[in-house]
Amino acid sequence: MIRFHWTTILLIGIGLLADAAAALPQQDEATRELDPIETMMLTSKAMRLATEKVRPSLVTIEAYGGVASVQGKIGGIRKQGEGNTTGIIITPDGFIITSTFNFVQKPPIITVVTSDGVRRTASLMGRDDIRKICLLKIDDVKGLPIPEFVGSENATVGQWAVSVGVGYGDTTPAISMGIISAKNRIGGRAIQTDANISPANYGGPLVNLEGQVLGICVPMNPQSQAVGAGVEWYDSGIGFAIPVSLNAPFIERLKNPDFKAAPPFIGIRMRKVPEHEGLWVEEVVPESPADLAGIRREDVIKEIAGEVVGDVMALRSALNRHECGDEIEVKVWFEETGETELVKLVLVSPPRPKGEGPVLEPPKIK
Amino acid sequence: MACWKLKFRWQILAAILVSLVALPAFGQTDPADKPTSQGVFGELCQSAQAKMVKVFGAGAGRVDGFATGIIVSDDGKILTTQGVFLDGREVRVVTSDGVSHSATILKRNRVSQLSLLRIERGTPDYFQLSSEPVGQQGDFVVALTNAFKVADHEEPLSATAGIISLRSTIEAWINKRDLAFGGELVLIDAITSNPGAAGGAVVTADGKLVGMVGRIISSSDTNTRLNYAVPSSTLLKFINGELKEKEQKKVAQSAGNAELGIVLFKLGGRSDPAYVDRVRRGSPAKLAGLKPDDMIVSLGETKTATVKAYQDALESLSPGEEIFVIVKRGREVLRIAITPGEKAE
Repeated sequence: MIRFHWTTILLIGIGLLADAAAALPQQDEATRELDPIETMMLTSKAMRLATEKVRPSLVTIEAYGGVASVQGKIGGIRKQGEGNTTGIIITPDGFIITSTFNFVQKPPIITVVTSDGVRRTASLMGRDDIRKICLLKIDDVKGLPIPEFVGSENATVGQWAVSVGVGYGDTTPAISMGIISAKNRIGGRAIQTDANISPANYGGPLVNLEGQVLGICVPMNPQSQAVGAGVEWYDSGIGFAIPVSLNAPFIERLKNPDFKAAPPFIGIRMRKVPEHEGLWVEEVVPESPADLAGIRREDVIKEIAGEVVGDVMALRSALNRHECGDEIEVKVWFEETGETELVKLVLVSPPRPKGEGPVLEPPKIK
Repeated sequence: MACWKLKFRWQILAAILVSLVALPAFGQTDPADKPTSQGVFGELCQSAQAKMVKVFGAGAGRVDGFATGIIVSDDGKILTTQGVFLDGREVRVVTSDGVSHSATILKRNRVSQLSLLRIERGTPDYFQLSSEPVGQQGDFVVALTNAFKVADHEEPLSATAGIISLRSTIEAWINKRDLAFGGELVLIDAITSNPGAAGGAVVTADGKLVGMVGRIISSSDTNTRLNYAVPSSTLLKFINGELKEKEQKKVAQSAGNAELGIVLFKLGGRSDPAYVDRVRRGSPAKLAGLKPDDMIVSLGETKTATVKAYQDALESLSPGEEIFVIVKRGREVLRIAITPGEKAE
């Protein structure tokens, strides 16, 4: 992994500087002497300009009461801070996108300060616990500036990326530079960056040098769907952002305040056994989608939604591409009949353990 | 966790170094006449090493007995952080040539967490401190530190690259019991919040000292560790004796005798929002038109997310100095001028 990282950075680093050279004032390229310090200063300037470009659309989100009432730890952090968080305006009439991390607890009052310094009350709209994003709405506004968004198809591994956020409490956002480390992470939904990503910029944008938004910074960990999962990697060089296109259905549906996208639950505990190809069913949760589809203990799962599941990791990545409410086809070898069949099941949201609040602590990494 | 933070940053530095090496090829100049064969940071790291030292002192339990230091004069004055490592029998300073010296402590500042040491030897290579801000947001910087005591004897310090994230006075704490850390900070995105890194140098691409890596502190807003430098101008003030602990503390804990005449709802704990229950007759709040059920959003410049935050903000107000209070009334947000009165004894 590190080796891969290395070579990518090297190649792209060289490419970027070549680009920077091309962007310099028109001079005879053969005679133009590129001063390394000058090149770096130009890159720094580009980062400042990119930040300036997105700034009018940045908002500071303030939550009042009960936000920090979550005791103990979330990820590696003592507990969620009381601080302000970052959001981005996505419609001129006041829809704002941010990270669900900023709303682990639902605060009684939320206010939003737009870049013109005006403070307004905001309401929490729909929530996507898979992408860790949610929307806020401020009322009686129009003509708010929205930034340019670029899809992940226009993002290149190795290109510069700057994370921007106001979480440290200053009205001027803090920035961190890095590159795009990978695309199509976490069920194909996230891009990965080595720019610092932390509670200081969760909900804020990851921008390219043109100030276009590559994604919304969020905490993520491919091994866990818990609210706080991924925070333990803050500022580590492993950070994630969700690419957003404004007319995408997954954004549109969040405008409904009651909407909630939850990670998928199938209801089987399974493991790999040497006798079978696929995953051997150890236990089926009663009333779960798997139970309703007639899957029983000792059956073997061969494929999920067309993807061969050779091990639990493959199953997780196949499931990660779906969310609760999706209907998927599962290829199962039934122990009782000895036949392999395709069954359809509808994914649901995972049941909450009785009497307990939301699970904040991500599982320990083994 | 902190260990591999470091590792990733290293790669960026390496990448920049190598890409800079590759530059002449694109500029089509003759590589032979370019003195920058190691890139900007390469030369920088070399020239800066002679101006840096490793500091060793007493360790106590889990507290580290080592730090980094910056030479700031030709007569052996060394700036470093403040900490228990200075409280032992002896403080030793290892210069870049690997020679160990006994150091005397000239002065310490517990508010800005700085100390000034001196070794008995000439130090021709040293950093110039500037009273003006060095570097702006987005500028590339290199942090040179002895994080984790990686460098031994004459081994050079570790270099990590990043940019300046923000210059700001933000709230931070050192650990749960300690006082909040005060003063302007230069936040950077190279990871320096590691043991032993404090006292390290943060340097711009053209070799100027942005500031000194400070002790490990965490942001009060995010509860995450901050990577930052104490700005060069603050360091200069400290050396010139212009930083007075007493005055700094006075600024930190202001008046505390201001009164607005607001009685808050006390339903739950101190983490509830600051809702107005009653407004006392003839009080500044009454005159300003505050009403029961208003929620106090901010007092002056301070956001009051909770009852506790409101009480803290009230403490910092001075009687007679007009401020703006922001309240939420229904769905409206109002900005109201108010002049605090004096607390009746």
